[in-house]
Amino acid sequence: MATASSDGKGAMTRLIGWVAQSWMFIAFFIGFFLFWEFSIGFFNVPLYILTPPSMIVTKAWADLPRLFAYTYVTGLETILGYMVAIVIALPLGLAIAFSSILRRTIYPFFVTIEMVPKIAFAPIFISWLGFGLLPKVIIVFLVCFFPIVLNAILAFNSLSEELQRFSRSTGAGVWRTFVKIRLPAALPQCFVGFKYAGLNATVGAAIAEFIGSDQGLGFYIQITTGNMRPELAFAGIFFLTAIGLVLFGIITLAERILIPWHISVRRIQA
Amino acid sequence: MQGLIEFKSVTKTYGAGSSAVHAFGPVSLDIAEGEFISFLGPSGCGKSTLMLMIAGLLEASAGTIRLAGKEVHAPQTDIGIMFQDNTLVPWRTVRGNIELQLEMRGIPVEQHAEHISSLLQSVHLADFADRYPFELSGGMQQRAAFCQAMVHRPKIVLLDEPLGKLDAMTREHIRADLQKLWMQTRSTVIFVTHSIEEAVQLSTKVAVITPRPGKVETVIDIDLPFPRDLKVKGSSAFIRHVREIQEIFHGYGVI
Repeated sequence: MATASSDGKGAMTRLIGWVAQSWMFIAFFIGFFLFWEFSIGFFNVPLYILTPPSMIVTKAWADLPRLFAYTYVTGLETILGYMVAIVIALPLGLAIAFSSILRRTIYPFFVTIEMVPKIAFAPIFISWLGFGLLPKVIIVFLVCFFPIVLNAILAFNSLSEELQRFSRSTGAGVWRTFVKIRLPAALPQCFVGFKYAGLNATVGAAIAEFIGSDQGLGFYIQITTGNMRPELAFAGIFFLTAIGLVLFGIITLAERILIPWHISVRRIQA
Repeated sequence: MQGLIEFKSVTKTYGAGSSAVHAFGPVSLDIAEGEFISFLGPSGCGKSTLMLMIAGLLEASAGTIRLAGKEVHAPQTDIGIMFQDNTLVPWRTVRGNIELQLEMRGIPVEQHAEHISSLLQSVHLADFADRYPFELSGGMQQRAAFCQAMVHRPKIVLLDEPLGKLDAMTREHIRADLQKLWMQTRSTVIFVTHSIEEAVQLSTKVAVITPRPGKVETVIDIDLPFPRDLKVKGSSAFIRHVREIQEIFHGYGVI
């Protein structure tokens, strides 16, 4: 494995290396915000349509307590829905992969449901279950569940023939084969599902809040836009993005810990 | 004399009815203990299938296979197998992969630490025990896979084109190591290959298998001294054996 030095000097070298490699991107990024900042005045864009980034920062600063409180609400919906999706989808995917009956019943059903835009269920759930936490968790769950379960089925079904034969030739039982071979071999494909679901989790939470809620970042974005306060809506979007980034960061970290040997992780570390 | 491995009219067909494909057979063959026998034939002749049947990993369509007198109907565990694509797992080091064979069998790994080290030494991998498969060249991976197949000291070793994907020089080098190891253990080896020279160099016997549907055309005794180094390979007896087999395949239009 790559022996990444963790001392301060190594980190500094890596930072310099990153800047040297990505300076064009950094320059573009800064340039984008500068253009945004100064074009508002230049083109006389009314402030109720769009505000410069500097104003977003100052106004958001003043409204920070509310933003934090709502980030907590939306974050909780996102994480709960995502966790429940993993806890249910992973064992279910495993069961479908190994049961010919489930593969002929639930599996085609799931593939069909996957075609339905899950978000379209949001108004129904909210009318059934009210404005609280539960309908949002269910929407996030629905958005995350299918990519995780479908990738898990694929993962547990695609052990190479040679490794299957190797396992049989050792006389190892089902459990030992699972722990030592099937599970580690399936993890990379499972993470494809985890990542895809993670990217969509905040989308589910925000849209569910648009449809019916009295708190959360989706609610905040909708209300502030309605009040002609685009700078606060942008702040809400920023915090929503932060939730997504934290979730994705956790998934990537778990991937590095669980499958450091896999090519997708090795490329990042190289 | 009864062989350690006996094939009796073994055939394999895939599918059924009018669309059935007759893959090979009937094959009848006796393999004695301590033999190094090559299954030599063109691709698709069923030599790998034949090998997997000894291990009980594939069932014959008709006929019987006996291992030490017992009919084979389930996976055999006292065999060492090296598959065409190696079974090194990417999440374990070379040593970890060799240990996997023991762990799967419930054999305590600690008691075999020295044995693993000596195996690695014999295939020149001692310095790479803690490397991961992706850090190794193709040849080194095959050497590691060989240790994985041998670590539980099997009496019968099945090697399915272990050198098939390697370059000529690496092949030559690993062949020599393989021969040295076999001379020490004298286990019964079934070696699947489509290289005539490789078969003649390594084997005590070469089973020449015809194109599909595969049949054992003949079993040739290779009565040359071991180790079969460069000198033996240059001898007229060696070249005669190679010629003889080439002519058989030429007759079938394979070469």
